[in-house]
Amino acid sequence: MSVFDELEEVTNQQYLHGDLPKWLADPLLAVARSPELCQEKEYLVEILLAQVREYDVYAEAGCCKWAYDHEDIARTLRWLEEQ
Amino acid sequence: MAVYLDCNSTTPVEPSVASLVLRFLEKDFGNAASPIHDYGLFARSAVEHARMLVGKVVGARPDEVLFTSGATESNNMAILGLADAGIKSRRRHVITTAIEHKAVLEPFEELARRGFDVDILTVGPDGRFKVEDLAEALRPDTLLVSTMQANNETGVVHPLAETAKLLTGHDAWWHVDAAQGYGKDLEQLRDPRIDMIAVSGHKIYGPKGVGALILRKRDGLRPPLQPLAFGGGQEQGLRPGTLPVPLIAGFGEAAKLALRDNETRRTTCLAFRRLVHEALDRLGAGHNGDETWTMPHCVNVSLDGIPSDLAINALKGVIALSSTSACTSHTRTPSHVLTAMGRTPTQVETSLRLSWCHMTPEVDWDEVVGILRKIRSRR
Repeated sequence: MSVFDELEEVTNQQYLHGDLPKWLADPLLAVARSPELCQEKEYLVEILLAQVREYDVYAEAGCCKWAYDHEDIARTLRWLEEQ
Repeated sequence: MAVYLDCNSTTPVEPSVASLVLRFLEKDFGNAASPIHDYGLFARSAVEHARMLVGKVVGARPDEVLFTSGATESNNMAILGLADAGIKSRRRHVITTAIEHKAVLEPFEELARRGFDVDILTVGPDGRFKVEDLAEALRPDTLLVSTMQANNETGVVHPLAETAKLLTGHDAWWHVDAAQGYGKDLEQLRDPRIDMIAVSGHKIYGPKGVGALILRKRDGLRPPLQPLAFGGGQEQGLRPGTLPVPLIAGFGEAAKLALRDNETRRTTCLAFRRLVHEALDRLGAGHNGDETWTMPHCVNVSLDGIPSDLAINALKGVIALSSTSACTSHTRTPSHVLTAMGRTPTQVETSLRLSWCHMTPEVDWDEVVGILRKIRSRR
């Protein structure tokens, strides 16, 4: 399973069974379904995948950051678009 | 150029790892401790991603991974970092083995100087300690047990599963120096009873200068280490200083590849080992370490009548190898590992360590054997 396939799978899981909002799920699925547009950016996609997998609405609530919130994911999506 | 057969001292860097290191050296050079702009935020993302990848190899959570400069520093942090806890709890007994790396033995010497009661377990001719000896040495006030996963000189793997079973129910903290086995032998280090794991990036085709100390939480709390250095609060307050983002990112990539390619790498190394054995057995090599218990990428042999220094020099145009651990070979002292295994001075003086990896090219073993035979015939 490629990182893109994993991203699609995890995004669907987080959207359907977690708290991932649609406004994030849509661009994530767009990335997952367009690997040809992310050539040479797989490192960022890997980071994005990890962030989606550990997505937590309250990621910033604790003293240590071991989860990711919508801001993290949106930022990584922006980096993907900018590079 | 000679074929590199000294992977136990350091490994070549995977191309994709080198590429990532270069990226964070040149383009994305931010400080992970400055997440107030994109440069710092991306650096922090890279560090946290690497933390996840490094921990994943041993089944640890990202918050259980502390980045260090390498296994030597990690070993020191684990062993000396526990000293205060031992003193406060009046548990001043510590146990290790006679064939540990000096990065473990010397911190234990320091503990002895600080008043700790140090027990050093002997090993058999096969290079392994006996779990029953550990059982006998354990006391209610034992603070720390330190055993390596695989020996750096012989490649011999230690009985970690049996040790874990023995230590279940005992309060001693268990530290494993896994510099040689991390990312290679995957199953052993996933045992949740192992409290602390020291690893290095440059043993798994990552960059030099970076490693980790993995601190498994016990009942939600990490081992009660105190920092050895101060100023900055990075790595949960235990290892201050600006994080080397390029090295850490490279280490994470190396860890990812070690996990992904583990089986193919092992198969390649085993095939290479068969060739090594075939060649050396033509010289009547005495093996320092039972093949049953040896990592697939390392062989240590004694070649009667062929002093190791002469062999290494004569072979330098064909293969690059060493006689003892790189950390000690320049001191020209006998290997404490082989000595502890009961090898004679002659066997120690004629010992050679050959260690390879999945990237090692073919070797002209006929030429190797021919050169070694010439040395023997001249003596």
